[in-house]
Amino acid sequence: MKKRGIGLGCSWYGTGYGNGFPDVSSAFVEIHDDGSATVLTGAVDVGQGSNSIFAQIAAEELGLESKDICVYSGDTDATPDSGTTAATRQTYNTGNAVLKAVRQAKSSLLDYAAHEFSCPTSEGIELKEGYIGVKGDPSRCMPLADMVFQARLKGERFISAESSTARSTPVDPETGQGAPYWPYAFGCQMAEVEVNTETGMVRVLKVVAVHDVGKALNPTQVEGQIAGGVTQGIGFALLEELELKEGKINNPALSSYLIPTALDVPSIEALFVEDAECTGPFGAKGLGEPAMLPTVAAIINAIDDAVGVRITSLPATPEKILQGLAEKKEG
Amino acid sequence: MIEIKLVVNDKPYTLEVEPSERLIDALRNRLGLLGTKEGCGEGECGACTVIMDGKTVNSCLVLAAQANGSVITSIEGVGNRRSPHPVQKAFVEVGAVQCGFCTPGMVLSAKNLLDKNSKPSNEEIGIAMSGNLCRCTGYDKILRAVKIAAEEGKE
Ligand code: FES
Ligand code: FES
Repeated sequence: MKKRGIGLGCSWYGTGYGNGFPDVSSAFVEIHDDGSATVLTGAVDVGQGSNSIFAQIAAEELGLESKDICVYSGDTDATPDSGTTAATRQTYNTGNAVLKAVRQAKSSLLDYAAHEFSCPTSEGIELKEGYIGVKGDPSRCMPLADMVFQARLKGERFISAESSTARSTPVDPETGQGAPYWPYAFGCQMAEVEVNTETGMVRVLKVVAVHDVGKALNPTQVEGQIAGGVTQGIGFALLEELELKEGKINNPALSSYLIPTALDVPSIEALFVEDAECTGPFGAKGLGEPAMLPTVAAIINAIDDAVGVRITSLPATPEKILQGLAEKKEG
Repeated sequence: MIEIKLVVNDKPYTLEVEPSERLIDALRNRLGLLGTKEGCGEGECGACTVIMDGKTVNSCLVLAAQANGSVITSIEGVGNRRSPHPVQKAFVEVGAVQCGFCTPGMVLSAKNLLDKNSKPSNEEIGIAMSGNLCRCTGYDKILRAVKIAAEEGKE
């Protein structure tokens, strides 16, 4: 017989290295006389899209388009260290470093422009759609490229180096007090499963995943990270088991360590809550790891809802489910 | 050494290969076609997928000598930046690429499906793509991209 059930899983997750470990990212920025800018940072884009995020952050701050920003990353010869692509930290930590660096280079540009436009303060200058000018006065406005070019002829360059350190204090081992992480990511997912009571097989039919991302700087990437996380969570819940024997991995191959295929994934509905994180770049915070956390709990709870079997060790293999069903029968 | 003749991406080649050489090695090392990726090297992940005589194969499981006389399409023969294949266009549009390691194999599996079946159902798409593993995307956008490419092909 096939039985269906629904389960809920919730998570909170401290992003960054945490526990007082120095969590530092850095960036070099230059605004060029062709109206483009370069961002150099050690952050490695492994496909999650951090380079696009940094380009977007720089573009937003400079009134340019992301295609005008060249992000040069992950080269130990040339880029300043930004720590590992881990701990759900690149958008938040390196994003903050990039934003700080862009703002620094921009502030010297604004000072220069204020002087050129005979504006008493740089507060009166704005960067918009590739132009630089006095706010509210269209007659005093020129392409950003021209302003930087003129500055260059006078020996001015708009270059900056900045770093950003995440807030974190170690937890007191005696009292358990401290502020080990900042910020926290929150998520909630629901899964619907179908359990075959004869074979113990579980099919995940649907997952709805809701995550607080602060601000979705790139919604396509957010959806991609959620779907990727949910799918890893499905593998974690139902398939993936590292078998160790005397310290050796027994199943070091994709034929014996199973991960989900296209046929194992349900429809995944990704929704995000945008509750701005005031310390993050444009309100953003990380999502990488949190996306897979609630999936496991949601699936295990859904199995319980479907057949009343409580799984207490992962993965929830058909054998464990059949055993649970048999024990229930015996009462 | 064994002499083999094969056509790769519409170009004929005559190659001298080792008896134990795999097709993926011949493509990557002898022809410099580095778009074909080696993930597992044992026929499980599909990263090395190429189309051989109209069928997708794991090029890590095919001996180069077995490919004698065959017609092969690797990712380099599918499209390029200027004129991407509809599948490639759809992948880029929906954001179906994360690390990209599975992507060449995914594109070839999708292309071969659409070459044979221009109106695949969701289930047929799932089955056609299930031999290609992806650890990043959760397949969601990949399956969507194949669907979009199929719909565009219909018009
Ligand atoms: S490399 Fe050939 S299937 Fe994995
Ligand atoms: S995009 Fe990374 S494995 Fe598919």
